[in-house]
Amino acid sequence: MKILRIFIILFLFLGFSHLKSDEKKDELKIKILKNIRCLICQGQSVYDSESEFAYTIKLIVDKKIDEGLEENSIYEFLREKYGDWIIYDPKLNKNTYILWVLPLLLFLLGGAIMYKKIK
Amino acid sequence: MLASQIGYYSLILGLFFSILLSGYSVKDFKIKSKVINQNLLSLSFLQLFFVIISFISLILSFINSDFSNETVFNNSHTTKPLFYKISGTWGNHEGSLLLWLLVLTLFIFIFLIKSKEQPKKYRILTLLFQQIIIIGFFLFVLMTSNPFNYLFPTPKEGLGLNPILQDPALAIHPPILYLGYVGTSIIFSASLAAVTQNYVSREWAYHIKKWILVSWIFLTIGIMLGSIWAYYELGWGGFWFWDPVENVSLMPWLTLTALLHSIIVLEKRATLKSWVIILSITSFTLSMCGTFLVRSGILNSVHTFANDPSRGVFILIFLFILIILSLVIFFFYFKDNNKDLNNFFLLSKETSILINNWFMMYFLSVVLIGTVYPIFLDVIASEKISVGPPFYHKLIIPFLIPFFIFMSLGPGLKWIKSKIDNKNSLIITFIISIILSLFIIKNLTTEILYYTVLVSVAFFLFFTTLKELFTKKFNNSSQIIAHFGFSLLILSILFNSILSSEIITNMKIGKKYTYNNSEIFFKKIEEKSKSNFNSIIAHFEIKNENGKIFELKPEIRIYNQPVIITSEADIKTTLLEDKFLVMNLVKGNEYFNVRYQEKPFMIWIWISVLLISLGGLMSFFKKQYEK
Repeated sequence: MKILRIFIILFLFLGFSHLKSDEKKDELKIKILKNIRCLICQGQSVYDSESEFAYTIKLIVDKKIDEGLEENSIYEFLREKYGDWIIYDPKLNKNTYILWVLPLLLFLLGGAIMYKKIK
Repeated sequence: MLASQIGYYSLILGLFFSILLSGYSVKDFKIKSKVINQNLLSLSFLQLFFVIISFISLILSFINSDFSNETVFNNSHTTKPLFYKISGTWGNHEGSLLLWLLVLTLFIFIFLIKSKEQPKKYRILTLLFQQIIIIGFFLFVLMTSNPFNYLFPTPKEGLGLNPILQDPALAIHPPILYLGYVGTSIIFSASLAAVTQNYVSREWAYHIKKWILVSWIFLTIGIMLGSIWAYYELGWGGFWFWDPVENVSLMPWLTLTALLHSIIVLEKRATLKSWVIILSITSFTLSMCGTFLVRSGILNSVHTFANDPSRGVFILIFLFILIILSLVIFFFYFKDNNKDLNNFFLLSKETSILINNWFMMYFLSVVLIGTVYPIFLDVIASEKISVGPPFYHKLIIPFLIPFFIFMSLGPGLKWIKSKIDNKNSLIITFIISIILSLFIIKNLTTEILYYTVLVSVAFFLFFTTLKELFTKKFNNSSQIIAHFGFSLLILSILFNSILSSEIITNMKIGKKYTYNNSEIFFKKIEEKSKSNFNSIIAHFEIKNENGKIFELKPEIRIYNQPVIITSEADIKTTLLEDKFLVMNLVKGNEYFNVRYQEKPFMIWIWISVLLISLGGLMSFFKKQYEK
């Protein structure tokens, strides 16, 4: 019972966040900006870029967060406007099944080979 | 002018000696003596000598700003400091290939000197396979990428070197990285030679392990230098971007790391032969692919400075020939004589090393597929997708958890059959790791569960390796130090990413910005001019929570040749954290965009990588067989 009590206390602590709301917003914004490609740059994210394009996107993201949009809805919004190329996180669809699943299959295959090797 | 001529003809002479060397090798292969003909060594030296002459000629052309040489014209400028004139030699496509060639010929020469105890036929075959690669590169340089093309009339001034390449870390990054890349060519040639001679044995493993270590150490340090450069020059405090060019250097590193582990099994237990050969071939193929992918301009990347698809075709065909050759040799010559030794017990060092290889191959497949798949999709379906950090994080990070646990347990196991004899202390260590990380993490971030799990396993790895560092007698110190460095690296990266904080704001001169009891004060700017750039240096005073004041001076440089504006961050490094300030011009405005970051444990990331390399270095100098 004592262990249970300690765990309950620990989990109460876990639910407690020390960050203020605007700090949270900044954190979210940076996270989102890092996942957006600057379309006119060479391999830079919008976060890393100072181009005018990046500037516009930053404003859009800022506005969308204020409107209360979720992270994923912001990505969706940008995808619709600029295409899949703009988001660094490829969506799981018929184009990307291989991309997402092949490494996992190879891992299982490796596991099977290992299993055969071990007595 | 004269230097270019000498350089060009030296290259042709080098090619001539390579062909001569190949001919003599074939002849000597048939002669029934136990030692190889001394002529082969002399010819190998001549081949190396002329490539050195050629390389020095190119350096001299750069130093003298000889713009009748096309490579110099394209990549240099009279106002550039001497150091960057020299480093400009390999900061471009032609020069970097000449450097490849230099290392190729250097390594085979060293191989010949250092392999005197090895069987004669094996040595000659290694030399021959290496000559195929060398001649291929000679032809590549002479036919598609001659560094000594003559320009007439001679231009008065060169086009200059991309300013972001004018940097000390990046000046030595390519040579170090290439030593790693090209080292895999020796492993490749030696593996094929060993297969044909049925010499894949414990003795061979001991001998080739040194070469694996050489490649691995240089590759590790090379990647680190690139990363350091990206940290202060390219990114805004990031040090790894999962950029295709970074991935391309990581891939051979992963296979080499796997090889480094499985070669120990071969050395100790004379098994895993075919796997070691496959890894050797893969490591070299990936190094070649690296050159191909970077130099062909296929990758849309910050690093692609030299775009030329026609050269890519040459490398692609060459690579294709080498792969076919190695597959043919592998399938026709490879014999595994002791099949009965092939099964391992679950609890044994062999199995733990296999698990390491299993994960390494998985990480490799993620990086390889993530890097190459978008190119294929673009070609086949004309669909453009971006594969960036979220993809790699999602597929790699969950697998790190079992990986770290296996890595904590593996080194404690014995060969053949083992048991875990310190179960209790391991369980206690594990529980301590969980509690410790829970207490540290709970106040720091919103993603508590995610980070607690990660930090727990990282701590577990750290504590178990730390314990080994202190309890084990120093018979395997190289492994322990490398593993300790790795655990330190993981912890530093984790805490760096959790604790980094950042302020982005626009500021005018003379203004203050306050946040959380801290203050950024934009004091003034001054202007300076140097031969190759003018710069605006800003003076910032930063007062942190404890009232401590320090100054940071970021710079904006306007390079003159070519005209490019770069931002130079100012970084104050201490053992605990890096303070990182960078600013940017905002077009048409009188204010500057200012980013201030506090990045904890940054220096520990570099220190841990150095520790990992040190482990490799100690293993390199170890004289005895694996225990």
